[in-house]
Amino acid sequence: MLLKIAKISALIALSATAVNAASFNAQAEKDRNALIKYTEAKFVDADKNRASFFPYSSDDELKNNFPKNIKHNAFALGSYAYNSRGKSQYDDIKEMPPYEDAIDEGAELYAKKFANGKSFKECFPKTDIAGNYPMFDDKKSEVITLTGAINSCLVANGEKKWNEKKGKMAKLEAYFANQSKEAGKKVDIKISSKAAAAAYEHGKKEYYSQRGYLKLSCATCHVQGAGQRVRAEYMSPLLGQTTHFPVFRLKWNSLGTLERRMAGCNKDQGENPHKPKSVWMKDLLYFMSYMSNGMAVDGPDIRK
Amino acid sequence: MAQISESKGLMMKKLHKILLSVSLGMLATSGLQADLMSDAVALDVAKACDVKANGLDVVLATATKYNTEAKKQGLEFKRLGITNSNYIKATTEAVKTKNKETAIKYKSKGKEKTKKFSTDYAAWRACSFAIRALQQKHEAQSTWRLAVPGDGFKY
Repeated sequence: MLLKIAKISALIALSATAVNAASFNAQAEKDRNALIKYTEAKFVDADKNRASFFPYSSDDELKNNFPKNIKHNAFALGSYAYNSRGKSQYDDIKEMPPYEDAIDEGAELYAKKFANGKSFKECFPKTDIAGNYPMFDDKKSEVITLTGAINSCLVANGEKKWNEKKGKMAKLEAYFANQSKEAGKKVDIKISSKAAAAAYEHGKKEYYSQRGYLKLSCATCHVQGAGQRVRAEYMSPLLGQTTHFPVFRLKWNSLGTLERRMAGCNKDQGENPHKPKSVWMKDLLYFMSYMSNGMAVDGPDIRK
Repeated sequence: MAQISESKGLMMKKLHKILLSVSLGMLATSGLQADLMSDAVALDVAKACDVKANGLDVVLATATKYNTEAKKQGLEFKRLGITNSNYIKATTEAVKTKNKETAIKYKSKGKEKTKKFSTDYAAWRACSFAIRALQQKHEAQSTWRLAVPGDGFKY
């Protein structure tokens, strides 16, 4: 009898925890589904949607460049999902991707021993983890990015921190991303506490807030502006925006982390860039990554 | 035994005092932040940053006051590689030396660069950038949701 009561209590407690955990991401799920619905609706037929979404696009691009009926997972390709001509150039570059050496170097960095004889293997026993970051650490009550976790591992082992934007950091992240891609992993960001939900909400608010002397929000370009052109370049969508990092940007002629790209966005908005380890940056990346939940990890990749 | 409990009591009192002063300090700082924000919101940028009407010193003081707060809140403006702090520093130097031209030194893509502006213009820009950074944050409190699909954004 006592055993039965104990079992029932445990079951109730477990169910309550599960219900609570689910409720912490309820708003985030609403946001994500609304974003998918909006993005798919926008690109169902760009030519028909001209008045609503593409008033400045030319006849040629609307009729000949935008594919029709683009679905959720296709947006992981960024603007190449709706830029057929750009996509063919992208495909050409992908035949001999310039980041392949970086993946190998990342693998070497992963296995290389620190001065104390340990290695990254102790901090990251699994390598297909790119889709699980950023994650919320309830003990520290903060968002932990992959970049932050790598640097914490280095410091914990008596090593110096790496540059958060490029170099070794981007190479190790490229290795993790590639391992995740090869294992068929999907972006899987968890929001399982009140504090995590608050960090997500903060990131969301910052994403949609206008800032800088140009008074642009991230959303101006990547939600409302996705698919519109800035000079010759199409702006990418928020949906799938984090799935492919780190990226080899032709503009940089090197591999860079998501934090490096975000600093560039801050500059484009006319604002002094936020530091990679600032709460602002970490919460923003947490929100952005959650929006890509369920999409395949497909980094590293190439962007202009 | 009595001595131990007495010293424990003293320790607790000290701890309470420290906690109280820390809390008061935090309250004062947040109050100051809120004050500066509401001050900035109430300002008319064109009037507050008018160099001819207010003089360079006043406009620069306004720029410094609000940009310090903008920096604290992670809102500082940066235009073509030049932060608002760069504008303020160089303009202050130009005012000191009574130079009508302000030479702003800054780093862009790892290179040292210099850009020249008239001192009046640089002061105006520094002041308007500082105030607008705070005003925009205030405006965003009521506008950000209008851009969220599934919330305020209708299409």
